[in-house]
Amino acid sequence: MKARKLLAVSAAMVMGAAGLTACGGGGDDGGSASGDVEMTLWHNSTTGPGKAYWEDMVSAFAAENAGVTIKLQAIQNEDMDGKLQTALNSGDAPDLFMARGGGKLNAVVEAGQAQPLTIDDATRTAVGDAAFSAFTIDDEVYGMPMSILPGGIYYSKDLFAQAGITELPTTIEDLEAVVEQLKAADIAPIALGAKDAWPAAHWYYFFALRACSQETLDAATAEMTFDDPCWTKAGDDLAAFSATEPFNEGFLTTSAQQGAGSSAGLLANHQAAMELMGAWDPGVIASLTPDEKSLPDLGWFPFPTVSGGEGAEGAMMGGLDGMSCSKDAPAECSEFLNFLMTQENQEAYATAFQTLPASQDAQAVVTDPALKDVLATYNEAPYVSLWLDTLYGQNVGNALNAGVVNLLAGEGDSDAIVQGVVDAAAKE
Amino acid sequence: MSDTLGEGKLAVSPSPEASVTGGDGARKAPSPARRASGPDWRKRFEIALLTGPAIIMFVAFVIFPVVLAAYYGFFKWKGFGPPTEFVGLENYLTIFRDSTFQDALQHNAVIVVLSLVLQGPAAVLLALLLNQKMRGRSLVRVLIFVPYVVSEVIVGTGWSLMLQTNGAVNDLLTKAGLPDWTVDWLSDPNIAIWSLMLIITWKYIGFAVILFLAGLQSIPEELFEAAAIDGATYWQTQRRITLPLLGPTIRIWAFLSMIGALQLFDLVYIIWGQYVAATAGTSTMATYMVVNGRNAGNYGFGNAVAVVLFLISLVIALTYQRFVLKRDTEGALTEGKK
Repeated sequence: MKARKLLAVSAAMVMGAAGLTACGGGGDDGGSASGDVEMTLWHNSTTGPGKAYWEDMVSAFAAENAGVTIKLQAIQNEDMDGKLQTALNSGDAPDLFMARGGGKLNAVVEAGQAQPLTIDDATRTAVGDAAFSAFTIDDEVYGMPMSILPGGIYYSKDLFAQAGITELPTTIEDLEAVVEQLKAADIAPIALGAKDAWPAAHWYYFFALRACSQETLDAATAEMTFDDPCWTKAGDDLAAFSATEPFNEGFLTTSAQQGAGSSAGLLANHQAAMELMGAWDPGVIASLTPDEKSLPDLGWFPFPTVSGGEGAEGAMMGGLDGMSCSKDAPAECSEFLNFLMTQENQEAYATAFQTLPASQDAQAVVTDPALKDVLATYNEAPYVSLWLDTLYGQNVGNALNAGVVNLLAGEGDSDAIVQGVVDAAAKE
Repeated sequence: MSDTLGEGKLAVSPSPEASVTGGDGARKAPSPARRASGPDWRKRFEIALLTGPAIIMFVAFVIFPVVLAAYYGFFKWKGFGPPTEFVGLENYLTIFRDSTFQDALQHNAVIVVLSLVLQGPAAVLLALLLNQKMRGRSLVRVLIFVPYVVSEVIVGTGWSLMLQTNGAVNDLLTKAGLPDWTVDWLSDPNIAIWSLMLIITWKYIGFAVILFLAGLQSIPEELFEAAAIDGATYWQTQRRITLPLLGPTIRIWAFLSMIGALQLFDLVYIIWGQYVAATAGTSTMATYMVVNGRNAGNYGFGNAVAVVLFLISLVIALTYQRFVLKRDTEGALTEGKK
């Protein structure tokens, strides 16, 4: 073994610092009506059409607004949180950065690091109140929703046909029957990237969405208390479902999105039949198919109903990708975000990212059959909860994720999940 | 009669009135006629100039962060803006009450002991073997040393792919007609720690072998000749001459190995990811720190864990140096000018 670790860490810190200073720069000088304005924008599209979309938007905005330049910085999704934290602390924050609402954004706002946005009436009408609510703190909007990402089960139509499945499952018992049929046909039923924990936790969240009423979910957000019996029921339901061994072999060490061996990769290569995921999944799966094109037989159905729960029929859970402005950003920051929300630009966004745009005017551009099903269900849903780990913030989300992995590994039970959340509060 | 590493033996001990105790072993020239402070001052300037940059870097990137971590550890802090919520020792109480941390500490202890037990004897035997004249010696040396040079991330990724439930290892076992031998190498809590030890041994044994080979080079040939004339067998020679004279090298290697094992992070984090490590029984104090500190956004708590990890390593290191390395490093690390 070696004693070079400290040095390596310091070196990494130096590199990190160098990286940050390299992309720092102007933008803190505020915008005046006549002067030139420069802003920096951090996004997580390091390759392909997503990256091109941001470049197009920035040049289009500069063409309309002389004197405004926006510098783009693409950062790997997994690195984003850490880098943003460092940048916000060092007073060298990007003017525009990605945000997903909920507890994480709350922490940034509470620290006075984000500014309320000015939303045009046109934008407000196009997006609707539901999407804004995730970014609203004390009646001020701190983020512009760019896309809606409701979750559900993606499946391979070919593999379902191969196993002789004709009806899509609507109840959890149906789903268990489908799992049995797939196993009988020697197909791995459900791909699960439990190594990253959050995909495993999604299963618990959806069982909680079925077990708990909207009031209970809201109360948990407000008070961070999880003593309602429905939380235990959700864990028990998951444990019972997990006992039927529905997940791919070695799911505990399967990652979610990296390479052909990941859960998205298993679906992309017809190695597994289903995956519970958010609406970014078609795009991720497309990047992992052998020809790097969309999976032609990809279908979608909502999370099945579970008997005995208090959740409303048809309730959904999902996330939002959005952009926020940091505290020192010039007024042009809000202008640019409203510019992104025009119908044309939102259509471009939906096409580039193969996802659902937040603006309802732009939703006609969605052609992917699986995404169309998602959209239809979404527009019917009585309410849409944010992913619970996003909603409850990093600390509790972290504890929930760990508890669910333990439960699936047979190391803990539903009470241990709730206890883990209580323990996490002590570390906050 | 052990040949120590210390250079104090060779240097003529400086006269008591010399103000600069440079262990440079320079011959004490008769003092020049000019008893000005010039040379003395110039020497100090030279020392400052040569060591200054290194000291500044060390203080800025090692000492200062350690002090800051100690400071942040007394706060509940989300990592935005300056910490305000002072909680005293509460974070530390939480750490020691947390069963997840106790598990991680236990895993660390197991890794420390097993690293020594598995790598030490094997490395000594390999070093003895590779010290012989034989065909293909350089090739074997390279093969043993290569894993140590490859980066941890690559090693971790490679092994994690091979050891997956559907990975190459299980596939090989099945095709070799041993389907009963296939297990969940990574996710079965009874097996995971042994998989980790296998990877650690494979990766770091090259370092031990190279150290021991260097140590063997420094043993005078005459001793072996004398032993041969006295009729000692090969194994007697190894036991009575080689091992005792290799002692300092073995002790230093054990020290480095222990520190490395205490701070093990990268392999575990890459192979098991942030959550499964605790479930599989391979979490270490360092992975606990990252998961419950940085990833949970509890920066105050995470810093407290860092301090605990630092103190545990420091106490073990100082104890080891005080009682085990004392003879080997006489005068090099301590002020022991007895």
